[in-house]
Amino acid sequence: MRIVRFVVRRLLQLIPVLLGVVVLTFLLVRVLPGDPIRTILGPNATPEDAAAARARYGLDQPIVKQFLDYLGGLVTGDLGTSIQSGTSVGAEIGLRIGPTFELVVLALAVALVVAVLLGVWSARHADRAGDHGVRLTALVGNSMPEFWLGLVLILVGYSVLGWFPAPSGRVDPDTNLTPLTGADLLDAALTLNGPAFGSALAHLILPVATLSIVVVAPLLRSVRASALEVLHSEPYVAATAHGLRGRTLLRGYLLRATLARLPSLAALVFGTSIGSTVLVEYVFSWQGFGQWALRGLLYRDYPVVQASVLVIAFCYVVVFLIADVAQAVLDPRVQI
Amino acid sequence: MSPVDPDLLSIEHLSVVIRRPGREVAALSDVSLRVGRGEVVGLVGESGGGKSMVARSIVGLLPGGSHATGAVRFEGDDVLRMDDDALRRHRGHGAAICFQNPRGALSPTRTVGRQLTDRLTTHQRLTEAEARRAAEEQFAAVGIRSPRRRLGAYPHELSGGMAQRVMISLATGCAPGLLIADEPTTGLDVTLTREILRRFRHAADTDGRGVLLISHDLASIADVCDRVVVLYAGTVVESGPAARVLGRPAHPYTRALLRSVPDVDGRAVVATPGAMPLLKAAPHDCPFAPRCAHATAECTAERPPVSRVPGAADDWTLACFHPRTDELAFAEPAETPGRATAAERAVLEVDDAHVVYRSRFGKGGHAALRGVSLRVAAGETLGVVGESGCGKSTLAKLLLGLVSPARGDVRVAGSRMSDLRGGELRRLRTRVQMVFQDPIGSLSPRRTVADAIAEPLRALGLPAARRAERVEAVADRLKIDRSMLARRPHELSGGQAQRVCVARALAGEPDVLVFDEPTSALDVTVQAQILEVIADVVRDPARGSVFISHDLATVRGFADRVIVLYLGRIVEEGPVDEVFGNPRHPYTRALLSSAPSLGDGFSGPKVTLTEDLDDTDAAAPGCPLAARCPFADDRCRTEEQELRPYGNTRAACRRVPEIPDLLKGSDIRV
Repeated sequence: MRIVRFVVRRLLQLIPVLLGVVVLTFLLVRVLPGDPIRTILGPNATPEDAAAARARYGLDQPIVKQFLDYLGGLVTGDLGTSIQSGTSVGAEIGLRIGPTFELVVLALAVALVVAVLLGVWSARHADRAGDHGVRLTALVGNSMPEFWLGLVLILVGYSVLGWFPAPSGRVDPDTNLTPLTGADLLDAALTLNGPAFGSALAHLILPVATLSIVVVAPLLRSVRASALEVLHSEPYVAATAHGLRGRTLLRGYLLRATLARLPSLAALVFGTSIGSTVLVEYVFSWQGFGQWALRGLLYRDYPVVQASVLVIAFCYVVVFLIADVAQAVLDPRVQI
Repeated sequence: MSPVDPDLLSIEHLSVVIRRPGREVAALSDVSLRVGRGEVVGLVGESGGGKSMVARSIVGLLPGGSHATGAVRFEGDDVLRMDDDALRRHRGHGAAICFQNPRGALSPTRTVGRQLTDRLTTHQRLTEAEARRAAEEQFAAVGIRSPRRRLGAYPHELSGGMAQRVMISLATGCAPGLLIADEPTTGLDVTLTREILRRFRHAADTDGRGVLLISHDLASIADVCDRVVVLYAGTVVESGPAARVLGRPAHPYTRALLRSVPDVDGRAVVATPGAMPLLKAAPHDCPFAPRCAHATAECTAERPPVSRVPGAADDWTLACFHPRTDELAFAEPAETPGRATAAERAVLEVDDAHVVYRSRFGKGGHAALRGVSLRVAAGETLGVVGESGCGKSTLAKLLLGLVSPARGDVRVAGSRMSDLRGGELRRLRTRVQMVFQDPIGSLSPRRTVADAIAEPLRALGLPAARRAERVEAVADRLKIDRSMLARRPHELSGGQAQRVCVARALAGEPDVLVFDEPTSALDVTVQAQILEVIADVVRDPARGSVFISHDLATVRGFADRVIVLYLGRIVEEGPVDEVFGNPRHPYTRALLSSAPSLGDGFSGPKVTLTEDLDDTDAAAPGCPLAARCPFADDRCRTEEQELRPYGNTRAACRRVPEIPDLLKGSDIRV
């Protein structure tokens, strides 16, 4: 089928892209000032200790040899060993990526649903009080820094109202959740662990709300603008002039044409929300991928930085691929 | 014809004023007209006359900020005063519009079948399954081949003619009492135009619907309309039986319109100066007076009342103090000077050119031109005609060097284009200039008129002072006011912009001028003005011209020789009077037969092609027309046809000598 062929072709294009990312990050982290060995040894280490540590992590080898070793490891699925913790980078990613992914995907899904519902409603009531209210609210939400917004939500939702659990951890340890993927809500659902599901959901609500409030504004604006454009377009006017019912007009002539413009923007927003998670995770002690990557960067933990950049690049490419497919499905004129 | 019931639609003293901040437009001023059941009424006039506003007011879809007075009575109820529910029932089921530009008016994200079943389930209360069956029948009824397959198609997959058919099926699918067709044939070929208009006549005759046919193309709608209403600047200037209004019009504007239309019988066009005014308030005088040759003080002092044409039947009325009753006089057919072309200098030669558009990934491709040879001498005008999709635009691009031939070559003023590179090629390109179809779109919006005209001079590297000199000289020649040189394209009207485009093409004194449908985007009276300009320009003995158009009548006006293209091949070529007067090839005869005409039209025996143009015919062995030609036999389907001489002309048809006999047979649909 056409779409399958397209996806396969794009996945093959992934290889050179990721190879370029690998080379660039490998060089860039080594150009950055700072030394990973110094950070683990502390101030009292002798030059001999440092040389020994360097040899242990292979950092005494010529740079080409280091790169080839790293590349060889990648091919076999070995992302290296963290200099800070001494554990396998692959295992750490496995532990960290699930929770972050759950956070970002849920936040984006919520933001998309809200943006589409409110955006279309807003366009149909353009330039009335409700429309102005929706746009203003979105703008205010968008203007607040995510860490501050997170703190406000914690203050209101946990300290004042007490509706949500404390911002420490992702699930109540007493629920005995068996980790499978690392995404707690998903794990709870898979293991049919009811209490854990409730607890994970309760922990998720505030961070997801924070992140989606931050990203909803650009999506909403775009949905409203394209819905307005469709409402004034010739096909829509023609359908109105032929006296079609409101429901048919909305479902058949407005919604899909409006959504067709959304995927590429949603993919971009997904990218920025990966960046936003670092702060949100910090505020909610989420122990996710963003926090881990940031710490790796601060301590110049070469394998961790390389691996995290690689993962983010991979996500970007895959998300844009999904967006392109979604666009082609929504808009029959798009050839893929 | 079914009995005419005058009560279907009756518009009474309708005035529409559109008020927007800083702008006020009187779109319609005191318009009255009516459409009965089973009646086809033509609403004609130029753009800005208020035709679309009438259509929109009938379905209660006036633009924002508009204020309407008067009444639009549909079966007795006033549309302007309907509530939302009544209006929704009225739209579609009462009156349904067939929109202009059907491709744009079909929803791009819904299959055309779904769009039709939406209408059927809404207005005819069918279930989904019934609607699907009915939709298939509807598609077949409007002449869509393999309707079941087309139900699943999206609008972008349809050709222009197919999209128009779908649009008609959507409008009739609502089962309306009144069908409104807004410029239904704009951009369609002559053969298709007739066919589409016949659908509307059919809707009136068999289903008893009223039809309001909005058009600027008088010649096309002349024989399908019962009555005609002529609009000018938002007022009705004349209305009455089609045969009378279009045959012997009484209002000077109707006369001006008719005289502006070129005709295949070759009569000359008479241009009327000026353009339609944009009224800010309902007029207190005759809006046409400033352009009218018969205007007196009375005309500018008072608005002429609507009255009966003297000595005519009741329903022929007009708004004029000085109705004309004499025969509509046309100028004599333009002299086509029989210039000896053979001995003269050839400015453009194309030798066996093939152009192939490759598909994106290398394999296959679409052959747009298949072995075209032509020669244009200095001082000569070559007309190029054919349906859309026949390679006319590709030929224009080839002459300008915008596409390169896969085989064969193009020589401009003796130099072969493919031999040159860099600066030499650039200079050679300035020897061929083009005038495009869309005048405003082909001017850069950020450049002044003077800059635009100087474009080819800049390409030649002329110093600024010389450029300014040349620009002024050209502007004077084309009667472009000096004050206009500092303006930008969005401040120009279509006619002014096209004048600028002609000036730009002329500025560098090229050897060849290519006109690609230069008047088809313009209004009728403006079209006549531009045709006069072009006729003057092509008379220059120093350069040759190529005039491309799907409108045969325009080409006949001033081409010396004409070539007829069909699917990338030349099927006939020869002197214009010979080809138009005595066509040899069946395709040429079919084009001429379906060309609309207000005069005598094409006088010879007529031929109708059986099916719509289909690209796949191009690749078939034998004559590409064989699938559509009423004279095709088995040898036609297998033998490649080459141009062979018949008298003064050459035609690519082996049966030419037999055709006069075949035409006498009774099997030809006329």
